[in-house]
Amino acid sequence: MDLLRQNVWSPYLAGIIIGLLQIPAFLLVDTALGASSSFVTGTGFIFSLFDSSITEIKYFAKYMSKDKYFWQSALVIGIALGALISYKASGRKASFSSASWKNIGASSAPVARLLQGFIGGFVLLVGARIAGGCTSGHGISGLAQLGVGSSVAVAAMFAGGIVTANLLYKRAS
Amino acid sequence: MEIFWLVILGLTMGIIFGVALEKSRVMEPGVLIGQFLFKDYTMLKMFLAATATGLVVLSGLTALGLAELHPKSFVVGNIIVGGTILGAGIAIAGACPGTVFAQIGRGYKDAWLTIIGGIMGAAFYGYNKSLIDGVLDMGSLGKITYADLFPSLPFWMLGLITAAALVVVMIALEMYRPWKVDRGMDQNNDASASSNAAHA
Repeated sequence: MDLLRQNVWSPYLAGIIIGLLQIPAFLLVDTALGASSSFVTGTGFIFSLFDSSITEIKYFAKYMSKDKYFWQSALVIGIALGALISYKASGRKASFSSASWKNIGASSAPVARLLQGFIGGFVLLVGARIAGGCTSGHGISGLAQLGVGSSVAVAAMFAGGIVTANLLYKRAS
Repeated sequence: MEIFWLVILGLTMGIIFGVALEKSRVMEPGVLIGQFLFKDYTMLKMFLAATATGLVVLSGLTALGLAELHPKSFVVGNIIVGGTILGAGIAIAGACPGTVFAQIGRGYKDAWLTIIGGIMGAAFYGYNKSLIDGVLDMGSLGKITYADLFPSLPFWMLGLITAAALVVVMIALEMYRPWKVDRGMDQNNDASASSNAAHA
């Protein structure tokens, strides 16, 4: 429990723990860690409230029916619960947006944060779904399986991220 | 496994995942974007440690015949264009599709808009998949891995060699820039909190 109350962990400890999660993923679910598929599952069920024909689209139907996508949807909800437990246990406070935005010279005005969040989220998932995976699926899991496509995907992510970040933010705070 | 237990398993694994993302601060926008600006190396270190651990784990599981690999297809146009757009999205949102959920748990209200944007993005791709994939079509190399390129080496051997190489990279990174330098602020907060408690 002491470990849970600690304010910060080294990135190496965090990485080892996340890497070990591949054991139950492969042994019990027969899949690798991932996150972005859950957005298609969520989108499918939310949009089916307005568009009953969405299940006729093969892409959505697949993500709304296979067991492993329900497992992954539970995983991302668990991620939120874990972060909640973690920051409460170390006795810090919630805020509207992360204080770390000011370290890179970004505005902390709520309207700016909400707008940027929405646009960023849209771009994020369009990219992840085109590529067929995100920083978890292609990154951590794809590289751990020595996937050639995943290694190219990770290189492309860093290229896109480095160029965009240098256009939008300041290095010095 | 029954759906009920798969959901319980997913929640449990997710909680562990979420604690690790929050404690390492990899879910903080300034940390993720800081890596792209090369002013904070936390994300790269966590990423390398998770990948190296995964390589060792999967080397063991496949050598013992306990698990099968599921590498993703190398659909050339989709991977290059999608990966680049995803990277741009990480820089704009200050989050990945997984870490945005840790931001929700951490209490950041703006992360809800990132999730709504993400749902719209997934819908945009889902409804226009055949059109987008058609435009980007440059062929596919299938589920190719580096182990396929070195047929004389079994996966576990190449996996362990790669993991060892990543450990060397991490040691070099840590010598160049200790992780506590990047987390300096948080360390101070921790120290002042405990010394206040001691005075009280």
